[in-house]
Amino acid sequence: MSTEPQSLVADPQAAALTSTRRRRSGGFFSAPSGWLSVGVLALFTVVAIAGPMVVDSPSGLGTDILQSPSGAHWFGTDDLGQDVFAQVVWGTRISLLVGAVASLIAIGIGTLLGLAAAYVKRLDPVVTTVTDVMLSLPMLPLMILVTALAGPSVVTLITVIGLLSWPEVTRMIRANGLVVAAMPYIDGARVLGAGATRIIAREILPAVMPLVVVNVLLTAARAVIAEAGLSFLGMGDPSSWSWGRILLNAQRSGTIASAWWQTLFPSLAILLLVLAATIAGIRYNDSRDPRTRGV
Amino acid sequence: MLRYAASRLFRAILTIWIAVTVTFFLLRLLPADPTLLVVEGDMTPEMQEALRSQYGLDKPILQQYVLYLGQLVQGNLGVSFRQLVPVSDLLLSRLPWTLLLAGSAFVLTLLIGIPLGVQAAVGRGGLVDRAVQFFGITANALFIPSVAILLLVVFGSNLGWFPIGQAIDPDTRGLAAYASLLHHLALPLFSLVLVQLGPYALTLRTNMVEVLGEDYITSARSRGLTHRRVVWRHALRNAVLPALMLMGLQLGTLIGGAVLTETVFAYPGVGRLIFESVQQLDFPVLQGAFVILAVTVVLANLLTDLLSMALNPRIRT
Repeated sequence: MSTEPQSLVADPQAAALTSTRRRRSGGFFSAPSGWLSVGVLALFTVVAIAGPMVVDSPSGLGTDILQSPSGAHWFGTDDLGQDVFAQVVWGTRISLLVGAVASLIAIGIGTLLGLAAAYVKRLDPVVTTVTDVMLSLPMLPLMILVTALAGPSVVTLITVIGLLSWPEVTRMIRANGLVVAAMPYIDGARVLGAGATRIIAREILPAVMPLVVVNVLLTAARAVIAEAGLSFLGMGDPSSWSWGRILLNAQRSGTIASAWWQTLFPSLAILLLVLAATIAGIRYNDSRDPRTRGV
Repeated sequence: MLRYAASRLFRAILTIWIAVTVTFFLLRLLPADPTLLVVEGDMTPEMQEALRSQYGLDKPILQQYVLYLGQLVQGNLGVSFRQLVPVSDLLLSRLPWTLLLAGSAFVLTLLIGIPLGVQAAVGRGGLVDRAVQFFGITANALFIPSVAILLLVVFGSNLGWFPIGQAIDPDTRGLAAYASLLHHLALPLFSLVLVQLGPYALTLRTNMVEVLGEDYITSARSRGLTHRRVVWRHALRNAVLPALMLMGLQLGTLIGGAVLTETVFAYPGVGRLIFESVQQLDFPVLQGAFVILAVTVVLANLLTDLLSMALNPRIRT
């Protein structure tokens, strides 16, 4: 009598276990890291779009100076009495905007160069050399120089970060593209009379597309960090809020040591966003990879 | 071996040349007229003309370029707009601190990262391995100023274990001066190492796992060599080479990190100078800082390459 219910209970458990394992091995959302990271990214997107409509723009001259977090000011206030929560919400928009658009620019250039280098043999040494050179240069000081010259603004930040972030993408896409370009079906396409442009766009690009998607996320993560770094050094758009600028304000007003809330919350926002983008990228890669899929 | 060294040297010179050329054309192609930035407020057209010819801006662009390269070779990086001293003097007085900070971060990352990576690879699935894998991924998401501020607040202000600002106590002499130097270096150094270490140890672990599966390791084991000897003498050598090369490639990022760390800790290196110059829109200093950091990174990279060459018998022949 007592053994039967146990076996009945045990069986569904085992069934559930295998089914989760099967689901886990399949789609992107089957692992917690998949839906959690996408959930965080979605949350940030909602805050970036809707946040500034709900939360008032942080304005100075309040009387509540350097308040610690409370019901009235969830993340406290800075030395000018501006609400840190409002700053973080408004900063989300800039961080996401810069991250997304700069990433797309870098992906566009990087994919194009990577594929061209992978298929067109004459271009390969040139692209490889330029990529290696760019990779070995200290990018942050270069970005600072260019941003300072062009005049700090959101458009400048996006352009500068986008135009200087493609080498990592090129390297990965080229390495992957070389493998694809050596496959027999590419020779087949060539025999059928397809030109270089057609082969790159219609045959190689679809094959490396998963890697491109991963790179969009990883590049966006790096772009968010770069934007925060430039803003922290005073190269941000002076007329809009960004997470780096909140940290810079704390640094400039000398409240770093006393007002922990002014640095902690924007730091957490950067950490969460970048981590979510990175993990989503890795998870996407794993869910596409037949080697980890089968496990 | 000579061929390899020569090709590395050529690559280094090429990189510096590209960095310098890009900087030059950026300065000329961007809409900002440098003369307008020298002095704020009113300037007569004559004064502007005089400044233009002083900076050689009235000559054809190619001639300017050749002049600029000539000046650079002589170590002339122009004059700071704000402080009216040669940029090269300003930079050289700050560079040693950046070299000390970035250099010790590089060495410390190697010293801690190698045993960590080896331990993670040997004890796969263990505690160290999990930690290395976790920090290898999450450390990429760390924003250096955040880490630096956290360390500064906890260990600098609250606990008061370490001093904040400056690189050395000017009143100390002899041994006390070295102690003070290390004391001031600790927090900036720790923030850099914290961010670098995880990804580095993870790469080393991946290489090590691969190497440990190779035939010559099995053969070394079958010859009765101790576990210790196989891991540290036979496997590590081949795992550490690609990792060292990778560390060389990461030098640019390391320098970028140093710029941010120095800013937080008011550490008097080139990075802090960049931060100060940004606020004053001192373009010659920003340009000079990029050039000198680029040269530093390229030379250090060349050094790592030559070092790997010395360690790697396959390239040596």
